[in-house]
Amino acid sequence: MNGMNGLRQAWLVAVREMRERARSRAFLASLVMIVAVVAAMIVLPAVLLGRDRSVDVGLSGATPAGLPATIEVQASAVGTTARLHTYATRAEGEDAVRHGTVDVLVVDGRTLEWPRSVDQRVEAVVSGAIQVVAIRDRAAAEGISPRQLGDLVAPVPLTNVELSSVAGRTSGDQTATLVMTGLLVVIISSYGGLVLTGVVEEKTSRVVEVLLARIPPRSLLAGKVMGIGLLGLAQVAVTAVAALAAVTAVGSLDVPAIRGTVIAWLVVWFVLGYALYATLFGALGALASRPEDAQSAVAPMSALMVASYLAAFAMVAQPDSVAARAISFFPSTAPLAMPGRIAMGSPAWWEPLLALAITVASIAALVRLGGRLYAAAILHGGPALSLRAAWHAAKESQPAHPRPIRRNTVNPAETTRYRVTVTILMLVGVVLGVGVGAATSDVIVGVIAGAGFIALTVQAFKLWTGHGGATVTRT
Amino acid sequence: MALLEFHAAGKRFGEVAALDGCSFTARPGRLTGFLGPNGAGKTTAMRAVFGLVRLDSGSVTWHGAAITAAVRARFGYMPEERGLYPRMRVREQLVYLGRLCGQPAHEVERSVDGWLERLQLAERGRDRVDALSHGNQQRVQLIAALVNEPELLVLDEPFSGLDPIAMELMAGLLRDMAAAGATVLFSSHQLDLVAGLCEDVVIVDHGRVVLAGELEALRAAVPERFVDITFTGPAPDWSALRATPVETSDGHARLRVDSLDDIQALTSAAGDGTSILSLSFEPPTLSELFRRAVAT
Repeated sequence: MNGMNGLRQAWLVAVREMRERARSRAFLASLVMIVAVVAAMIVLPAVLLGRDRSVDVGLSGATPAGLPATIEVQASAVGTTARLHTYATRAEGEDAVRHGTVDVLVVDGRTLEWPRSVDQRVEAVVSGAIQVVAIRDRAAAEGISPRQLGDLVAPVPLTNVELSSVAGRTSGDQTATLVMTGLLVVIISSYGGLVLTGVVEEKTSRVVEVLLARIPPRSLLAGKVMGIGLLGLAQVAVTAVAALAAVTAVGSLDVPAIRGTVIAWLVVWFVLGYALYATLFGALGALASRPEDAQSAVAPMSALMVASYLAAFAMVAQPDSVAARAISFFPSTAPLAMPGRIAMGSPAWWEPLLALAITVASIAALVRLGGRLYAAAILHGGPALSLRAAWHAAKESQPAHPRPIRRNTVNPAETTRYRVTVTILMLVGVVLGVGVGAATSDVIVGVIAGAGFIALTVQAFKLWTGHGGATVTRT
Repeated sequence: MALLEFHAAGKRFGEVAALDGCSFTARPGRLTGFLGPNGAGKTTAMRAVFGLVRLDSGSVTWHGAAITAAVRARFGYMPEERGLYPRMRVREQLVYLGRLCGQPAHEVERSVDGWLERLQLAERGRDRVDALSHGNQQRVQLIAALVNEPELLVLDEPFSGLDPIAMELMAGLLRDMAAAGATVLFSSHQLDLVAGLCEDVVIVDHGRVVLAGELEALRAAVPERFVDITFTGPAPDWSALRATPVETSDGHARLRVDSLDDIQALTSAAGDGTSILSLSFEPPTLSELFRRAVAT
């Protein structure tokens, strides 16, 4: 009954988040803008590129018989139409080229005159036609019938094999994966950011004490994450529908054929990735008392997300490697790496399900843990709380109290210890980077590993001790 | 039996004991004033009722049983740090806060509309909270504590920052809530106000209850009395009469005596050229009780 009640309260929190945010002008404006930008990105190139879909060919001098008809056939074979203009003199034709009336002037069926550089698309059509006509004429002179000629030049069917690819996987899949991973990161971080500011606002406006007197912290956190997530999902869906409508309206763009199951998995991983990161954002956001502190409170989180993104990004090249399999199960990277592997048809059927189970379990654990951190930190005013202080307070399940809790006041001994630890972490990072670089014989991977390690551990250490960027210098 | 009870509640924040064996009761149908100097543990005790503070030792009970989430849904709380969603509309916000207590929407709406009407905010229901004056925001904050028609109302410094009219409104509301059967516990530093309003008081200091009970009984139970005496002739030697002058002027003195027997001694001061014109004595005021309790 208690659990049911907690869920019902979380749902009330979620409904409030959705209603209040959906009503705000900023939200509506951003939605309209995103839809407009996406539609424009699809429609504009199609309109600009598709404007000149026909080829204008000028003819002058002794045009071989059958060339005009052949040009038209060649043009339609590559999906355009050819308009032919015949000029009595070469000078007239050249004028037409200069004025842009025609794309090219064919003189005597042998010379092609261009306004500036050669247009490859037009050249392919015109020169192809000229060659066809010439071959046909020569064949006729040798007494070869058009039917025999057809048999002679009939193309042999060829098969392309890409040795690096796996059956059913194309380079289009790889591009789609890169785009999807990037999109996931952008979406997760922007909606996670909304959760962060929402938590800090509740703390700043002090409404949180009124709320927590009525509902448990985890219901408040889960409801907030849920409400903003549903709103985000709706926003993404509206944008996707707009994009699809634009593609259909333009009707010319090559949409990579992404399978329905891939899209379904993508939605699932969007939801999970968002829930995972947003819960972390919310829990860490509670450590800050003022909006200015919010960003530094979640800095390690942001570093974790960037590192996870880099890992998922690096995975695309070898989706079947051990490293790729490992990161597609690890909670922080699974939402970013697994959809790509699914799109590339890499995992066995049970792998996404296992990763799903691991991620869901992590989210459940984070909501509980986050709720406790939240409870400990949320009634704490004053300077941003260090994670260590909140953690100790959370272990005793008590709101952190200003007096005994260590604040960000810095004493010299602690500063020294802090600097020594950071230096050690950096040295370890450098050694790790060199080691990884040597082992993989890839400098870039080594740099990423070393820098990632330093960024993550130093940020985490800062958060733990409460040495925020700005607060270190304060005395 | 319907009462709020603290049983030897203890809570430490590091070195500081916010609550140190704090025991008292607040009874239904009565106003209980919760008094004590700053840092005495009042806010911690109030937060403990709502699970915002987990006690290290002891317990808080309602009707003799532990306070669960379901029980808490019938409580109302106004924290010392006032806070509402500034950009949310008044009526929607109150309905939301009421529904978090678990009541169905239509009941909460009816209750909210009733309170808005009663506090003359009915026409402000669609306004954002931050568009309201400070006084009106305080009223909305009060309604937030009342939307679920609570059986127990806990208010942390409800009178601080109120103008005299708002104070009167608040006092009337609290009296009405108590008259309707609710248990009302509130903290305040305005002792004269508490004295005029509360049947019961609880005075805490250093996390411990130093004085608790029915105000009149507490006053009567103290042997100390304050005596106002007017006289003609030379002033008697008060200390010989075991009375401590609090203030003296020509022909008048306010004296403190430590027991009723001393008043008998005072009456015998007449004679020797001094004649007593009037003599009245009364038990100490709440302020005097407070100073007495907290000083020891």
